[in-house]
Amino acid sequence: MIEGRDPELIKEIIELGGHDLLKCYQCGTCIADCPTGLSETPLSAKRLIHIIKLGLREKLLEEETPWVCVTCGGCEERCPREAEPFEIVLAVRRWQCKEDDTYVPLVLGEIFSHGHTQNVLNPIRKELGLPEIRTVANNEEALRKFREMIKETNVYKKYSYIFREE
Amino acid sequence: MRFCLFLGCNMPAIRPDVELAIRLSLQSLGVEILDIDGAACCPAYGTFPSVDEEASLAISAWNLANAEKKGADIVVQCGSCYSVLKIGRYKLIHGKLEEINKKYLSKVGLRYEGKTDVRHVLDVLHNVIGIGKIKSSLKYSLKGMKVLFQYPCHVLRPSKKVGFDDPENPVVFRNLLEALGAEVPRYSREMQCCGGAGGFAKHDKNANLEFLKKKLDAMKDEVDPDCIAVSCITCLMHMDNVQAEMRKLGMIDYQIPVFDFNQLLAICQGHDPNKVAKIATTPRDAVIRKIVGNKI
Repeated sequence: MIEGRDPELIKEIIELGGHDLLKCYQCGTCIADCPTGLSETPLSAKRLIHIIKLGLREKLLEEETPWVCVTCGGCEERCPREAEPFEIVLAVRRWQCKEDDTYVPLVLGEIFSHGHTQNVLNPIRKELGLPEIRTVANNEEALRKFREMIKETNVYKKYSYIFREE
Repeated sequence: MRFCLFLGCNMPAIRPDVELAIRLSLQSLGVEILDIDGAACCPAYGTFPSVDEEASLAISAWNLANAEKKGADIVVQCGSCYSVLKIGRYKLIHGKLEEINKKYLSKVGLRYEGKTDVRHVLDVLHNVIGIGKIKSSLKYSLKGMKVLFQYPCHVLRPSKKVGFDDPENPVVFRNLLEALGAEVPRYSREMQCCGGAGGFAKHDKNANLEFLKKKLDAMKDEVDPDCIAVSCITCLMHMDNVQAEMRKLGMIDYQIPVFDFNQLLAICQGHDPNKVAKIATTPRDAVIRKIVGNKI
């Protein structure tokens, strides 16, 4: 192994969802129409893939650009090799979470507690004459089962400190 | 015709007037709206899908299975809910379904057969209900008004998994606005994303504002529309709220009102604008007055 380079990195990203990573031939179509292009630190799937192919673990770990993605699907649609760059971006996020807990979004705990990322029990709904909400946020039995299911996942087992019953 | 309305998080939490507009406008078109007992977050891309794909598919399957119990397809407005559920379903029925059923859903007495599909509200309006039926439900029209659409990115791409329209030259949104009587002029940045979803706005606020400004400037300079129509809760909140920020910063000196398509539809059908289009940062009163003065 060349110093600082890990050929296993490619396999790890592929296993985490970047299944078609090896199809990429570095043409850069994925960057051409990316909304984040105006940023000083734009997301470049091409660059991420290059880092992965070189096996540069530390460099990949410090990349914050995967989290800038707007999830618009432009790269995914236009990639001439169907390398699925968006899936690779998500796979890199997952890899970073595995390597460094501080990447794990705390909003996971909110979804576990109330079933949603926001408080959906908005009193304005009643004012507007909307029916009572029937999601897990307002259904104790369903919320209990929802949490029970999440407890079966590896995310819950590994990062249990994020999840609270409250 | 029956559909399960998938609410997601932002719509009921922040813009419940859009939820009302969807319910009332679809009911006026003869759709029976069902609520999904025990629905939860889709889960959004920035949450479980960014940490563990299997957990993410389990939660999507949870939502799909609960809708399937009602025996109907899902209709959804939020772009990312649509994308997460539609692509989640694609991944499930192309391989992971039995594994997810066995490892997760069966533990809580649920099962997803893969029958319930996920449809975006634009798709349902255009391809299930149809333009003719929409036209005959109208009491008011957008005649004499210029309206520009903001296509939800997530309904177009990746077209092989989520698409119901041409990904580069889509027609559905234009046809729907024209059905309400609006003029929909073309302009240069028609297909640009709003930039509201994901982490762009949080990570680089300036670039994010500059990005949307390019689009708003093109709208203003090339068309000067009466309003913008969106069909995604993120597009709605972002394009509406960010204009106020831009005016404060001196980046723009105009304002373009933003409506969800179903809000425009519901107003045109005669539903109370004070209810179905109650919440906005950029004032919409002038547009609403114009519509209700346009009796058919």
